[in-house]
Amino acid sequence: MAPSVERSFTAASTLEEAMAARRQGAAVLAGGTWMMRDPRRGVDLPEAVVALHRIPALSKVEIEPDHVVIGAAVTHAVLGRALHGAVGFEGLVAAAENAANPGIRKVATVGGNLCALDFAAADLAPALLVCEAAVELETFEGPKLLGISDFLKDRHALLAEAIVTRIHLRRDLVASAHIRLPLRKAGDYPVAIVSLAVDKDKRCRIAVGSVEPVARRWTALEQAMRAGPAYALDPERTAELALEHNDFQGRGGKEAEGWYRRQVLPPLVKRGVAALLKTGGLA
Amino acid sequence: MTVTFQLNGEDCRFDGDPMTPLVDILRQERFLTGTKAVCREGFCGACTVHVDDEAVPSCLKPVGLVQGCAVTTIEGLSFGSQALHPLQANFEAVDAVQCGMCFPGMVMSLSAFVRDNPHASRPEIKAAMAGNICRCTGYERIVDAVADCLDQARKAGQLVGGIHV
Ligand SMILES: Cc1cc2nc3c(=O)[nH]c(=O)nc-3n(C[C@H](O)[C@H](O)[C@H](O)COP(=O)(O)OP(=O)(O)OC[C@H]3O[C@@H](n4cnc5c(N)ncnc54)[C@H](O)[C@@H]3O)c2cc1C
Ligand code: FES
Ligand code: FES
Repeated sequence: MAPSVERSFTAASTLEEAMAARRQGAAVLAGGTWMMRDPRRGVDLPEAVVALHRIPALSKVEIEPDHVVIGAAVTHAVLGRALHGAVGFEGLVAAAENAANPGIRKVATVGGNLCALDFAAADLAPALLVCEAAVELETFEGPKLLGISDFLKDRHALLAEAIVTRIHLRRDLVASAHIRLPLRKAGDYPVAIVSLAVDKDKRCRIAVGSVEPVARRWTALEQAMRAGPAYALDPERTAELALEHNDFQGRGGKEAEGWYRRQVLPPLVKRGVAALLKTGGLA
Repeated sequence: MTVTFQLNGEDCRFDGDPMTPLVDILRQERFLTGTKAVCREGFCGACTVHVDDEAVPSCLKPVGLVQGCAVTTIEGLSFGSQALHPLQANFEAVDAVQCGMCFPGMVMSLSAFVRDNPHASRPEIKAAMAGNICRCTGYERIVDAVADCLDQARKAGQLVGGIHV
């Protein structure tokens, strides 16, 4: 066991208390499944932490007829259960129910998944990108709401003075799917992730995770699909377009090399479109 | 910092670094060595314990987060001369255990699973084991034993609420 360390640990019961600790330099502790591995990455654990699990407002999922609000401290397991059966959120549910392993899913939070800097394989990132989620932060200057793409791009800077509090989703999707490629099924990180969704105007949204350092929308493919003669979702045709418009630079990494991550995208897109077509709203 | 929690039904107090992984306190301070620290990364499941009845890896649980919680380890699942948990009895009956390294974690994960999923199918049992790695058995006997256990519980009419300790 590590020698006794004088570490400050605040279990905040309100957001105000958490922000006060944050201003004093405390790092946010959610489920700890990422942070507790810092020492294995050669990084010391923070000297001061503020835990969010006692803040009721951050631990609930609110489902309204036209929108959903997810607290940042909601775990993957709770998120999957809460949205199970909600039309349009099939992909997000699949992401929450298939990431990691059952023990981790009971602990790891939505906020932790989005805020683990330098973690490229976060399942919820592409799933929330196709939902066009908005991320609510509490910053030292007050609350702030921004699109998930911007959040993911700028999170290094943003998180220096903020806590992610909630994720806001519109209920404008008719179907979605989340396709991941792990090398085994024993809870390893996915090599590549493709999330897809179709909105009420029959527009297809596609996002990719784990291939580049930060998940992003596949706008080149989305545009190519829209430019097609008649809008029709076809797995084969979409996979051909995916091959033609593959503008990803695969990252290297323990599980797979960059070229492989890039190369598996068209077949994953094919599977994804097939899954979309079987989903309630489109079937 | 002082952290207090229930450990196998008794009060437990820890004074020290609140970011200490729970597994280290169990093994090094409480000598509950049934809980194994193998990968320390959340991948192998050998350190699984129940925290407020949920099966979670104790290697990634800072003790500060268990303040006020009830922690159960493999030692607390059935005390001394008490009957074994039905899963443990089944594993023993079908000789499922080989080196035994993974089994405390396996039992802790699966005991929570059978409690919550009395009607689980074979694929569901396998999915529930995704976070418990066994290097010896090839898993099939374990899956058989869990399926038998659920069958027996169904036949014995213990369906509602699943299997309880
Ligand atoms: C065995 C294993 C397998 C895994 N497999 C997968 C997988 O397949 N897919 C996947 O997506 N992930 C996977 N993960 C990663 C896991 O999902 C993340 O570790 C988890 O989501 C992090 O959440 P947490 O609540 O534990 O975060 P913590 O470890 O508590 O925090 C992570 C980081 O985010 C910061 N943070 C947390 N919450 C907030 C907040 N609200 N505001 C600001 N900053 C915050 C913390 O300061 C810290 O820097 C795996 C992890 C393990 C251990
Ligand atoms: S030691 Fe905790 S999961 Fe392996
Ligand atoms: S019995 Fe040896 S690791 Fe499972």
